[in-house]
Parts: sequence; C-alpha cells; structure tokens
Amino acid sequence: MSLRVLNPNAEVLNKSAALHMNINAAKGLQDVLKTNLGPKGTIKMLVGGAGDIKLTKDGNTLLKEMQIQNPTAIMIARTAVAQDDISGDGTTSTVIFIGELMKQSERYIDEGMHPRVLVDGFEIAKKATLQFLEKFKTPVVMGDEPDKEILKMVARTTVRTKLYESLADKLTDIIVNAVLCIRKPEEAIDLFMVEIMHMRHKFDVDTRLVEGLVLDHGSRHPDMKRRAENCYILTCNVSLEYEKSEINAGFFYSNAEQREAMVAAERRSVDERVKKIIELKNKVCSGNDSNFVVINQKGIDPPSLDMLAREGIIALRRAKRRNMERLVLACGGEAVNSVDDLTPECLGWAGLVYEHVLGEEKYTFVENVKNPSSCTILIKGPNDHTIAQIKDAVRDGLRAVKNTIEDESVVLGAGAFEVAARQYLINEVKKTVQGRAQLGVEAFADALLVVPKTLAENSGLDTQDVIIALTGEHDRGNVVGLSQNTGEPIDPQMEGIFDNYSVKRQIINSGPVIASQLLLVDEVIRAGRNMRKPT
Amino acid sequence: MKELVTIQVGDFANYVGSHFWNFQDELLGLAGDPNADSFFKNHDLNMDVLYRTGVTQQGILTYTPRLLSINMRGSLGSLSSHGTLYKEVTSFPSDVVTWTGKISTQACEPHKKNLFLQRLYEEEENLIVTNDTSGSSNGSQSEYQDKDIVESLENGVEFWTDYSKVHYHPQSLYELNGVWMDAEDFNNYGIGKDSFSWDLQGEEISDRLRFFVEECDHIQGFQFVVDDSGGFSAVAEEFLENIVDEYTNTPVLLYAVQGHRACTSLQSKKRTVLEDLHDAVSFSRLSSYSKLIVPLGMPSLSKGKVSKFLHIEDEKHYHSSAVYAAALHSISLPFRMDPIGPTTPASSVSGAVDLHGVIQMLSGQGRQNMVSILDVAIPAPALFGGQNEQSLLENLHPLTPQIAEDVEDMQGVECLTVHGAYASGSHRASVSQVKDAVDAAFQCAETNPMFYHLSVALCPLPIPLSFPSIFGNQVGQHGELMGGPITNSSSKGSLDVYSIPMAARLRSSNAILPFVESRLRNLHQFGIDRGAAGAQLLRGWGFGREDLEEMEEMLSKMVATLCPPQLSSDSD
Ligand SMILES: Nc1ncnc2c1ncn2[C@@H]1O[C@H](COP(=O)(O)OP(=O)(O)OP(=O)(O)O)[C@@H](O)[C@H]1O
Ligand SMILES: [Mg+2]
Repeated sequence: MSLRVLNPNAEVLNKSAALHMNINAAKGLQDVLKTNLGPKGTIKMLVGGAGDIKLTKDGNTLLKEMQIQNPTAIMIARTAVAQDDISGDGTTSTVIFIGELMKQSERYIDEGMHPRVLVDGFEIAKKATLQFLEKFKTPVVMGDEPDKEILKMVARTTVRTKLYESLADKLTDIIVNAVLCIRKPEEAIDLFMVEIMHMRHKFDVDTRLVEGLVLDHGSRHPDMKRRAENCYILTCNVSLEYEKSEINAGFFYSNAEQREAMVAAERRSVDERVKKIIELKNKVCSGNDSNFVVINQKGIDPPSLDMLAREGIIALRRAKRRNMERLVLACGGEAVNSVDDLTPECLGWAGLVYEHVLGEEKYTFVENVKNPSSCTILIKGPNDHTIAQIKDAVRDGLRAVKNTIEDESVVLGAGAFEVAARQYLINEVKKTVQGRAQLGVEAFADALLVVPKTLAENSGLDTQDVIIALTGEHDRGNVVGLSQNTGEPIDPQMEGIFDNYSVKRQIINSGPVIASQLLLVDEVIRAGRNMRKPT
Repeated sequence: MKELVTIQVGDFANYVGSHFWNFQDELLGLAGDPNADSFFKNHDLNMDVLYRTGVTQQGILTYTPRLLSINMRGSLGSLSSHGTLYKEVTSFPSDVVTWTGKISTQACEPHKKNLFLQRLYEEEENLIVTNDTSGSSNGSQSEYQDKDIVESLENGVEFWTDYSKVHYHPQSLYELNGVWMDAEDFNNYGIGKDSFSWDLQGEEISDRLRFFVEECDHIQGFQFVVDDSGGFSAVAEEFLENIVDEYTNTPVLLYAVQGHRACTSLQSKKRTVLEDLHDAVSFSRLSSYSKLIVPLGMPSLSKGKVSKFLHIEDEKHYHSSAVYAAALHSISLPFRMDPIGPTTPASSVSGAVDLHGVIQMLSGQGRQNMVSILDVAIPAPALFGGQNEQSLLENLHPLTPQIAEDVEDMQGVECLTVHGAYASGSHRASVSQVKDAVDAAFQCAETNPMFYHLSVALCPLPIPLSFPSIFGNQVGQHGELMGGPITNSSSKGSLDVYSIPMAARLRSSNAILPFVESRLRNLHQFGIDRGAAGAQLLRGWGFGREDLEEMEEMLSKMVATLCPPQLSSDSD
C-alpha cells in the first residue's frame, strides 16, 4: 500500500534548507493524519495494488500501512508507534502535536530566532505542563471494586473514535467486563488473558464476551463428540505422537529387526502416555455423567487420537502456548508437562464444551466455567478488514480500561486539558521565564491547541470561533471542552468524555523530545562540517 | 505420509518458492492430463506431503500449498494477500459497516496483470464457463500467443507473483508492515533487527504457522527458505528461535539463499565490510537455530560450472531463482516417497527418507557437521555413453558458494536424488539402472564419501510455461542432451523444453571449509579485532563484545569440526 509522504531527499542541505525540510516533513505527516482525530474524524479506506482493502481510523494502523520514505517522517512515525506500544492510544495526537510544534517554531525561526532558544522554551513548558497535568487529572479510587461507570466512560470515549456510536456502546460493556474478569487484586493486568477471536460471517456484525475460552481449532477424530457437558479439562504440554524417523535405509539400524524393535519401543512409550491420561479419566469420570477433554500444546497423532476417542475423550492438539495459561485461568487446574504429574487436582472444569464449524475453520468453545479469570471476546464480521478494524478498537478499549485502573486517574477530554494547559502556560508560566525562551513556551502552548482545533475542524466547525469560546470559558474558570456537534463549550465530565492520564503524559513527554531533535539535528551536521571549512 | 510445512522468508526466498510451487502445480496438472507421459501420471510421489486439502465457506474443495510466506508489504504485486480461492462473499463487499462518519479512500495505482497472469485468469474463467454449460466450448482464443507470454516474463518480472500460477491459501501470504523502507535499503542484518519487532508481529506469524501445523497428523519437518542477503535474516532468526522453542522435536531444513548482489568493481570498502559482516553474522545466527543449514547463492551463477547447459542472466532473480528451485524440488522428492516395504521392481521410486532422516545422515553422525553443500546437475546427462564420457557424479556442481574442489573427505556423507534420468540417448533409465550406475560410479570414483544415500524417481522435472528461457541449445525437448557445438546463440525456454532429468545432492563435506572460514575471518577482522572497521556497525546492530565472541567461537568450532587433524597441526 503506497501512500507516499513527500519525496525522500537525503542530500545534505544547508542549515536552513535542512531545517525547513524537517518542518515540512512533520507538517506533511500531520496533514495525512489529522483528519483521523476524534469521533468526527474520517475513516480511511486503503486499497492496495491488488485490490486488498484496509480500513482504519487509527493513527497507528494508518502509519504502518503507509510507505514512508522521508527519514524525518519515519522518525515521527516511530515515535507515534512507540506511543501506541507503550500506552495503547494517542498516536494521532502525537503526530499532530509534533507537526504543530514544528509549525509554531517555523514562525519564530523565519523571524531569525535560533532553534536552540525554542528548544529551551519547550523544555520548560514540558515540565510545567506535566506538573499541571498532575493537578488537572481526575483521581479515580479503585479499591476492591473499581467504579464500573467511569471505566465504561473511558472505554466508550476511545472506542467511539473508532466505531460508530451504537456499535461502540455495545462493545463498551464487553470490554469493561473482560478487564474486570481478568483483573486480580494486587497484580498487574495482563491483557493477554483476554483472548480476541474472530469469525468470518456472511451478514453478521456482532461481538460477544465468552466467559471461558474460544479456541480456533477442534478435535481431529471423526468419532469424538462435538458437544459435551460437565467436562473435566486436562491442560497439558505432552507429546502424544511418534516423533522418530521411520527411515528405511540401513544407515541407522544394523538390521530390519533392530529397526522394528526401535519403532515398536517408541510407539509403546507414546501409548503409555496416552494410557495414563485414560486412567485419570476413568478415575474421575466413572460412575458419573461427566466428560473428559484434553487440550494439548503438543501434537497428538492418529493412533493416540484413536485410543482417546475409544474412551470417549475429546482431544485437541497444538493449542496456542498462551492458551495453556488462559485455560487454567478460565477453568482451574494446572497445566501439566508430564503424564507422571497427573492427579485429579490438575484438572479444570467447564460446564459446556462444543465445536462450531465454518467451512474449514473450526472453533471450540469452552464455556460455563466457574470464576474465570480469563475470557474471550468473539468478533464476527463479514470480511477481514471489518474484523481487523473492530479488533483494533477492542484492543484500544482494553488498553484504556487497563490504563485507568493502573493510573487511578483520568483526564477530561474533548480538548479541555489542552486548552487548560495552554492558559496555564501563557498566564502563569511564561512570565516566570527569562528572555526569549518565553517564546518557546508560547510556541509550545499554542501547539497544544492543535487538538481542540483539529477536533473542531473535523466536525466542520470554525476553529477560530471554537478556540475563542473555549479559552473565554477557561479564563472565567470553567473547564470545558468542545461539543463535536455544535462547537459550543461543554463539560466533558458531564458528557463522560475522558482520556487516559498515561496517554496524555506520554504525548506531552515525547512530542517535544522529537521536535527538539528535529530542530537541532542540522546543527550536529554543521558541527562536523565546520572542522573542514576552508579559510 | 508425513507432512512438510514450507516457510519462505524474504524476497528472493519467495522468488525461489514461486518456481518451486509452479513445479508442483505442473506435476498436479500433468497427473490429471490424459496426454501426459506415464511417469507424470503415476509418479508415486505423494503431493499431500506438501499440500493441504481444505474447503471454502461455500463448500468448494481446495488444494493449496502448506506454506507460510513472509515478505514486505507491497511485494505481492497484483496478487491479493488472501489469494483468490477463498473469496469473501458478503452482502456488503466494500461498504464500511463500522463507521457512519466521513470516509476517504486512498487507492494505489492497481498493478496491471501481465500477459501470463491474464492467461491464467482467462483459463480459469473459461473453466467455470465450460463447467456451467457442460458444453464443449473451445474457450475464447486469446489474441496473444504463448511466445508473447514467455517474452513478457523475460522482459518484465517485477514481483515473484508475476510468474506464479499457484493458488495460495489466505493464511499463506503474510506481509510485514511498518518497516518503512525500500527493499533495496533493507539490505543487512542490522536493519532487519531494527525495523522488525517480533513482539508486534510475531504472534500473528506464529498463529499462521500453527494453523498449518495443527492439521498435520504427523509432521516430518519444516522446509525453511530464507533470503539471507539482507534484513530478512534477522526476521528469520526470530522466527526460527520461536519454532525451535515451540516445535522442539520437529526438524528444520534451512536453506539460506542469496540472489545476485549487484556490485561494481569499484565497490566501496565500506560497502564490502558491511556485506561481509552481514554474511558472517547472518550465517552464524541462523545456524545457531537449525540442525542443518544449506547455503545457496553463487555470486555469479552464469559463470559457474553448473551453468554448462544454461544461459543465465545473473541480474534477473527470475532466472537464478529457477535453478535453486529446481534443486530444492529434487532434494524434496524422497520426502514424498512412500516408505513402506522394499521397492518393487515396478515401482517408479526408490530411496524414501524423511526430513529427519536426511538431517540425521548429514549432520547427526560422527563429526556433526551442520552445514551442507547443495550440488546439482541441471539437466542431468545420460548415465551411459554421453558425448563427454563423464559420470553423473562429475556433472554435479555446487550451488553453494566458496566450495573447495577436489577435496578428499573420509567422513563425507551424501544424499543424492536422481530423477527422470536417461540411460543413454533418449532412453529413460529404470530405477534399478540408475541405482546400479550410481553405485558403479561411486565405486570407480577416486574419492568416496563414507556413506551415501540414493533416491531415484522416474518422474523428471516438468518445465511449466512460467519457467524462464535459460536452456542452452544442446538441451532437447525432454531435457536430453544433444550433440553439437555449444553456441551462445539463443536460449531455449518452456516452449522448446517440456521436462528435464535432474540430479541433486546434499553433501556434508569439508569442502565447505572455505565458506565457513571466510565468515570466521571476516567476523574477526572487521568486527572483533582492535580498531576493526565494522566494530561500530556491529554495536549498532545490537551486538556486544560477548555476543561477537560467542559467534566467533561457534564458527571456530564449525571449522575445527571440519579440519582434518593433521592439517590443522600443519598450519599451526
Ligand atoms: N465525544 C467527544 N467529543 C469531543 N472530543 C472527543 C470526544 N471523544 C474523544 N474526543 C477527543 O478525541 C481525541 C482522541 O482522538 P483519537 O482517538 O482519534 O486520536 P488519538 O487517540 O490521538 O490517536 P489514535 O487513537 O489514532 O491512536 C482526544 O483528544 C479526545 O479527548
Ligand atoms: Mg485514540
């Protein structure tokens, strides 16, 4: 998918040309991404040279799909992707913020100001903004039972920037419940314990939360049940297949008998392992109506499957490594690495296990489990690009909820924070700064406004009017953001528009770092060249 | 039957793979063709080893390679990454069902299908038409001829998909995104390591691999082809590490292939250091995760002995990859032969062995040399009475670079496959004739390996229309070698040559010493020595002193394994 941003031009240029190239690249990338921002942003459909479709409203995904060649743009893109990696959101904001810092700097540089001075101002402004964020953030008390409402609002805010409202709202509950399901007191939240599974389905767009696990494979024996209730679950990582070579050549064995003997011995040891599993099954299942399901990370070959099927055992092979962990968290018991460790205590339990087949794709549902701390979000969609888009939105939502719980705070959205921080910088911080670095602080402050401005622009509103209205309210002491529909100031708290604290923090942190590097980068080159300057 | 899963990582690996699968596709087509020669109809080669049977959501059965291909986003040309078989049937084909706001579409210039792909497409359409009407329509005559197709491929292959006639499974073609680099700049280990993150993309890659492995009843191993000329070495390394971890007992046969490197005689010193260090690092990293590694890639294939009957244009990947693919095909034949029972006289194959067996033979014995040489005779000359009176063995020439000639190795091991061979002239040899001839040849040879394993099949290498025009004028229609002077006039292609006899050999021999030694030397000289020219470069690739010393030690061990003891004391 090639969507070229500016031409690569790696020639070494003179100072001012190089600086302007950096500025232009940053602005160019900003232009591409800014229409993405917010719930009124534009979704992008990317059509590749072979007609493949990618659909995205996410800065991160868009960047990765682009063929970026300009080194400056790549640097910014890397920062934005890292932003997503670290905090899960805010890639679009990062890119437009960096672009705006460069744009604001351009004005001053064109007037003859040295980039160094701006960079000093950025540093001061960044520190001050981060301090301000600490005051500005809204604490959320977590305790034993987190406030579900606030979690839902945070999830809703981010998911609504990726999916249309009613679809987003449906996902919100699922996302919050999923995180609460896997959350353990006193432990970091491991989002991998939420499996995200998808099915391609002709007409359906639907997502649901499965308390339990959905695996993307089924049993491999025609006689095994496709549905079973009251199931003991054995989660294991034990080879149940013949692994030796069946070579004919007389190279490894001195004679045919020796070879036969080796083959038989190896087969016997596999059979032994299967028998141990069957023994355990008989121990726990005899005299009751319960069933036995083996979910193995290693292979199970047809003779072993036969033996298990004969005993009425359902067996799945080559389970994902991560599912070993998830299964145990969902069903209980423990994952077993050797059949010597088999005891009834290793077994987990599920009320229902059944298989679902779609063409050649099979799914196994392990449901009705007790007190699960792992779960699955199952996404149905008509095609890959729709599924991918919903998946991305779900991931964003999960990260937002996790962040909220871990941050124990949120930040008012819809541009409220950016306007507030800008006023703070202009009214309080600027005057404490000596000399021209003040202008760096001012540039930084104005750059913050790119967020509300872009939100307004994407809603088709007049940015000037909106900014004047917002700053006016803030000066009167009312913390407001903008209404995407009317442009009027609104109270984000009332509307439930919350962003993640850690995401905002990361944006404020990384934006000026990259901008400063881009502003100073040619200085370094010059320093090297000056040494050989002819006199 | 034991399944093989094939993995192709990187551009040139996919060029090779594309030809490889075309051969398989051609075999499948010939097996069902009433006019085909009998050895194509009953070749006793089990294609299920390489292919999987599947079914689309509409219930249509499919037969596709058990393959995972990894390449850069944008490298698939006009082929959709979902392949063509599993079309998405939806009520809303490209409507956006998740967003009610604004939509902007950014479409790339669609890649035009070349004549070859157009023909494929038309044939498929005709097939559907004739099936529907069950009539005997002759299909529309294309206004272009086969020779136009061949010519268009000769002049304009841009992507490996340009000459691929195979249907791929939607899980097979994985594109790396977010690399933000031109293919030309993705040219060394460090860049690959820097721009690819296993954490971000590894899960999807290993899930796709799992998809193919899970359905195997009894997997014999992975056939892993990596383009190790650049950044894909680092991608493959991460992938291999993951495979070894996840499928510990499943063997990996690793082919490290390199296409022709465009280099000028005035190549800068810096560039040479970079390439040499890349080769050293790539080789030592890759071999630390495999049991058997086969380096492939002659600096200039056209000038090598192996091209005696070929006209190859080195700068065309389309050309050189065809040769490597043919060799890989030959080597893979024994993996698909039925191992049960002794071979009956009527059988068209002999010498079945699985991947594990081959690896055991070559690298699991005695000195445990894990690097093998691939030699090939393309086409293989007749067993008896050829014009040049050379035995088959003397016509095998390496595709592995930097190989010592005429070495004597008492501990050598060879796995040789001969298929479609002629006894003399245009008389095909029977399986037992081949065996006798090869046994005799080994007996008379001056130097003998400690052990050799021979596999024979009657079925020659079929030459599909997509095959490049690389045959010299002595190569006949069925690959027989005809008399007459070798002229440089014009080369023959798929319109003149329909199949060729082949011989290929994996060889564990100390002839590989120069190859390993040069990597060891370069690593030391450019990377480890005091003030080494590439020390900083390697630091940039993330290697500390200890890592480098570890690599060096590993390479030294390989060398020590191969050095005949008396020689090493001499050189001391
Ligand atoms: N209902 C709303 N009204 C106004 N602004 C909103 C609303 N919902 C979210 N926003 C604002 O939209 C911005 C987030 O937009 P978006 O999620 O598209 O971009 P991002 O988080 O910077 O990047 P990405 O999600 O692409 O990684 C935040 O500033 C947020 O406050
Ligand atoms: Mg967002």
